[in-house]
Amino acid sequence: MHELKIAEELSAMVSYHAAEAGLRVVERVNISVGQFVQVVPDLLEAAFRIAAMDSVASAARLEIEIIAAEMRCRRCGTGYSPDDDLHACMACGSLDIDVVHGKELFIKSIEGE
Amino acid sequence: MKDILDRNQNKAEEVRTLLREKKVMMVNIISSPGAGKTTLLERTCEALADKTRIGVIEGDVATDRDARRLQKYNIPIVCINTGGGCHLDSHSISKVLGHFALDNLDLLFVENVGNLICPSQFDLGETFKLAVVSTAEGDDKPAKYPMLFTGARAVILNKTDLIPYTNFNVAAFESDIVSLNPGITIIKTSATGGEGTDRWIGWLTSQLESFRAG
Repeated sequence: MHELKIAEELSAMVSYHAAEAGLRVVERVNISVGQFVQVVPDLLEAAFRIAAMDSVASAARLEIEIIAAEMRCRRCGTGYSPDDDLHACMACGSLDIDVVHGKELFIKSIEGE
Repeated sequence: MKDILDRNQNKAEEVRTLLREKKVMMVNIISSPGAGKTTLLERTCEALADKTRIGVIEGDVATDRDARRLQKYNIPIVCINTGGGCHLDSHSISKVLGHFALDNLDLLFVENVGNLICPSQFDLGETFKLAVVSTAEGDDKPAKYPMLFTGARAVILNKTDLIPYTNFNVAAFESDIVSLNPGITIIKTSATGGEGTDRWIGWLTSQLESFRAG
């Protein structure tokens, strides 16, 4: 249940940026979560409800965009999306792989007034 | 765009810088409950306590039972009870570092809360992560919990003495791990009986030497 800790961090960050932007109410929080980040979206949403309860984002909707994994082989240069979590290059089988996308965990934007 | 775990990451970097200055190598040990983290630490203290100054941070949901098991080695131990929390974070580590005389320490182990998912998400400021898997858990754990194994410098396969009583496939386990993390070191031990722990101690000692030199 590390979603609660992530939700607490998210809520603190949303409050901070809302104050900086002069927002009284936050209506929507847009975040991106990579496929390799082990977060359960429903749990994160429920946890955010609790974490943001007494904040400017108490009624905000949390929009979670899942970013699909994308790899690039350092040996043959092939780019591909893996069908599971094991990463060998789908073209040449090399294990020398860059994770281009899939490890993201960030706030894209905050909407409110 | 703002990284949601920014605060944890910043505090982790603070811890890392402090420990580097003090020349203390911190090892974040992550495993399921019952994989053998505490037994491995017992063997490690027995082998190294007279030549290496060891400290331990014990992360547990409740009780100080693990900490009590290590008291006999006369080393500084600080217990963090997370009160139900499933992992340690860099702020909890930073808070307890003040309880250690860092100038008199070479090696600091963090025994994280038993859990394969949550702890692997939070950088504590460690020098490296060590994964411990026991054979009774099954050989599919690396494929099912990839994040820990991509982030760890080494993995201990513990309870090898139980292999004859399980369907654990060592070759499949090793090949899954290597495909997740080609540079990882795999060490097989039976911490209770002591088999293989000399290889672990040898590897750990070499890591400590290169950390100090680096």
